[in-house]
Amino acid sequence: MSSHADSAARRRSLLFIARFLALLLVLYFAVASHPGNDRIIVPFTALIARVSGTLLRWIGEPVTVVGTEIRSSSFSVQIENGCNGVETALLFGSAVLAFPASWKRRLLGLALGFVAIQLLNLVRVVSLFWIGAHHPTLFTQSHTVIWQSIVVLWGVLLFLLWAKPPSREAATQA
Amino acid sequence: MRAAVRVGWRILGGFLAGLALWLALSRPYERVLAMGAEFLIRAFESPATTRLEARPGEFVVTRSDWPPASPSPGLPADDLHFNFVLLVALFAAGDKIWRSGRVAAFGVACGVLFLVHLTALVFEVHAVYATRLGAWSQTHYGPVARNFWAAGYHFYVIAGRFAAPFAIWWPLRGEGSEGETRGAGWRRRRNARKNR
Repeated sequence: MSSHADSAARRRSLLFIARFLALLLVLYFAVASHPGNDRIIVPFTALIARVSGTLLRWIGEPVTVVGTEIRSSSFSVQIENGCNGVETALLFGSAVLAFPASWKRRLLGLALGFVAIQLLNLVRVVSLFWIGAHHPTLFTQSHTVIWQSIVVLWGVLLFLLWAKPPSREAATQA
Repeated sequence: MRAAVRVGWRILGGFLAGLALWLALSRPYERVLAMGAEFLIRAFESPATTRLEARPGEFVVTRSDWPPASPSPGLPADDLHFNFVLLVALFAAGDKIWRSGRVAAFGVACGVLFLVHLTALVFEVHAVYATRLGAWSQTHYGPVARNFWAAGYHFYVIAGRFAAPFAIWWPLRGEGSEGETRGAGWRRRRNARKNR
């Protein structure tokens, strides 16, 4: 009986992952295609650059923003796919859509998750620019390993929080 | 909320442990990856000419049919396999991580991730061959092949390398993970509710 339940749980797990990967592929092609990239991703990335530029000026960095590039006299970064939080949003969105839940709960999760991911991503862009300007030797590892991992793990943690049944429901069932 | 904070701390601990392991093992791992990917690429080449060499932080691609003076492309290595850190952090999210079943599951996950890295490196080398070598690329790769290898590698860079640890971890995470969610527990409660 237990092994039957185990195999059913394993099957559900694998089905979830199959749906997740299929959705990820679809969403990837939507954002990587020319229309998706040019009409949505590039303007969105430029918005991130402008907001990051404003935050950097607040903390005393004399920067200018041109398109998706943030520049100062000593350092400049071009924000590209992979640095705009879209990759983590795709991951989070695919997981939320693949998971069995009501559409209301999914839409709420997508909206709140997207905002939470983008807020952390702004901290990433601002801190990476600061590191690049003041501690350039630390930039590459901070960019490739540290911050990318943190943002993705944040996305996974948000998904786990969303996917857990609400405590009120659990208390009712207890 | 307390459970979420607990998971957050576990993930952070796993992230730091994974980072230390990754920093310690990256270079020998890159040598193994280079050998494996070279074997796979050469297995489908006629004549077999590709050489992959792991140098600190990069894979250098050479071919025996290129002129000796031609530059050898270097492919960044960290970008390819840093997602090992994510895998360790995700496995650390569950409780009782030292239980033998969990350790075995982590071993299986590392094996699967190695296969993902091998595949990604094969795609990356072919993407370089297909798109970055000017006339040589045009001669040896048609439009379909160019798109196949380049899009495959681009998918890995944009989404695949972040999704792989999650997709590998989820079915192997076992009962009792904080991630145990509606997959089983929710359905059990829903069925109990229906039966009342």
